[in-house]
Amino acid sequence: MSAADPSGAMSHEGEIVIEAVTKRFDDVTAVDDVSITIPGGEFFSMLGPSGCGKTTTLRMIAGFERADDGRILLQGKDVTNVPPAKRNVNMVFQAYGLFPHMTVTENIAFGPKIKKLRRSEIADRVAEVIATVRLEGLQDRRPTQLSGGQQQRVALARALVNRPAALLLDEPLGALDLKLRKEMQLELKELQQRTGTTFVYVTHDQEEAMTMSDRIAVMNLGVVEQLATPRELYQRPASPFVAGFIGTSNLIELRVDRRDAGLLTMDLGQGERILAVGGVQEDRATITVRPEWIKLANGTPDDRASYVGGTVVDVVYLGSITQLIVLLRTGERLTVHRLNDEVGATEPEPGEHVMLRWAADHSYIVGSSPSTLAEPPA
Amino acid sequence: MAAVDVAVTPARKARGGSGRGALGILFAPVTLLIVLFLGPMVIMGAMSLLRFPPNTASGYTFQHYIDVLTDPLNWKIAWTTWWIATAAMVIMLAISLPLAYYMVFRAGRWELFVLLSLVLADELAPVVKIYAWQVILGRNGIVNWLIPGPPKTWLLFSPFAVIVTLAASYITYTTIPIYAAMKAIDASMFESAIDLGAGWWVQSRRILIPLAAPGIFIAMILVYIPMLTDFVTADIVGGTGSYMMGQRVRDLILGAGDWGAGSALNLVMLVLSIVFSLVAYRLARLNRIQT
Repeated sequence: MSAADPSGAMSHEGEIVIEAVTKRFDDVTAVDDVSITIPGGEFFSMLGPSGCGKTTTLRMIAGFERADDGRILLQGKDVTNVPPAKRNVNMVFQAYGLFPHMTVTENIAFGPKIKKLRRSEIADRVAEVIATVRLEGLQDRRPTQLSGGQQQRVALARALVNRPAALLLDEPLGALDLKLRKEMQLELKELQQRTGTTFVYVTHDQEEAMTMSDRIAVMNLGVVEQLATPRELYQRPASPFVAGFIGTSNLIELRVDRRDAGLLTMDLGQGERILAVGGVQEDRATITVRPEWIKLANGTPDDRASYVGGTVVDVVYLGSITQLIVLLRTGERLTVHRLNDEVGATEPEPGEHVMLRWAADHSYIVGSSPSTLAEPPA
Repeated sequence: MAAVDVAVTPARKARGGSGRGALGILFAPVTLLIVLFLGPMVIMGAMSLLRFPPNTASGYTFQHYIDVLTDPLNWKIAWTTWWIATAAMVIMLAISLPLAYYMVFRAGRWELFVLLSLVLADELAPVVKIYAWQVILGRNGIVNWLIPGPPKTWLLFSPFAVIVTLAASYITYTTIPIYAAMKAIDASMFESAIDLGAGWWVQSRRILIPLAAPGIFIAMILVYIPMLTDFVTADIVGGTGSYMMGQRVRDLILGAGDWGAGSALNLVMLVLSIVFSLVAYRLARLNRIQT
């Protein structure tokens, strides 16, 4: 969104630049030569499994960890060796770290008081930020007298009151239950847009990242696997890891039997085939197909669709969709999602043989392997 | 009916379950407490009220209380006792707070080692520990050997010696409650304080000490009262300027045989101690943070 703002060419307001940063803990390289540029005003997420380096990267931006190599620039200034208190960023911690012996107001005023702002200025800012996060009427409560969502808001207010160049959030919704988490996701996104503050958000929950972020860096083993918008990540994952981590995905090993004007074909006999579009030169490729793109076929589909038979091994009703697990002759299992938009529609039974189809350009190539693996699997 | 019974029985069990069973378990210790603790109190109370104790036929009077409360010597001793105990308390807190902080947040695998050291230090016989301080502070002691110049004679047989020795004797009892209180502090609180710009002083004053306050008050209960009645320490390392209340009561009863004054003074101190404990306990509860 604001990433495309052309007026920011000279201004570095809210901008964070991570330049070839590496962090090691003893023998473990937690963050390995990572470079990310986050323009001011962006809702940026770092997404990955635990131990992928996302939290370490965030803590390096905050100043709680020092980079072993590389630089971190905040609004154009090198802050690599600047202590956390001297950086114009604030962090919201997973455990919130609220001060239990202070009221909501005292918690929020903690930062401005240390910065020795005038008393009237502190009062104004606190009132403003309390309104922003909708905590009116709770000013004199202690954190223990608040619900999880309210505590979360206090933590946000306590950070935002300092008017940071960027707000760093370390899995801040992890402690909330699912329903509240979903509400807070929308609220956070709205808050970010309203304040125009750069948000750097760390999470292992892909849905959470997708819901809120302008862009997401998917991290694994200390490196950024892909940095893209949520839509790109879902539709064009750069690696099998990203395909597997973002949403449900079917990974299929494609043996290229025929190559015809960019259409790759794996022949399975009896008219059955798996198709993909791409310029892969190798004999084998890994493709991903999203479950909702696979349909049950009635009769042979057109030439530009994959067409493959299998046995239903599992049928799970999930409310808005029904999930089928279909075992192919190649031994692979495909997850198929059928939208339940018709009352009384019949579902296949486990054990039933079904034919599946999906458009060739819905097979997205996420990796290829050289032809050294000459022997195709049975 | 049956449904009501089913509904009521578990509730009653949950609430009153500790009733009869707990009474049986507590019977022996409660009896012991009454016999061994309240018994001497009652005897002492009687002594303090008898005109010529232990003669029970001499009649009852409040004269002993009036005497001990109007004797300026007692007030002087009370003052000495109070400031010596307070000085020792201040020294202990100055050591215990950073020590407990170190144990909880910095020591890592050394935490248990430090804890055990504190417990073991307390296991030593008190008299042996106090005599050890004679060796440390004496005219030819370790301190005078380390510090150049003529021997410092005020080191031993002085209020200073009593303060230092008391502090060393009771350090375990100040550190452990503070340590326990700090154990409940989430370390992320310090990180968020740092993130908001707090240096170590603001972190200590506005986060660490307020959150450790319940432990500090409990430590004061545990330590002040034994210090107020301690006479062994002042006997061994103290001098003329450090005559304390414990010594005074002991000397009244065992020295002068004045059971009336000794008992009255002792009960006044007991009442003061109870009042002090209740206040400190109340403060500890008020400052307790539910997390």
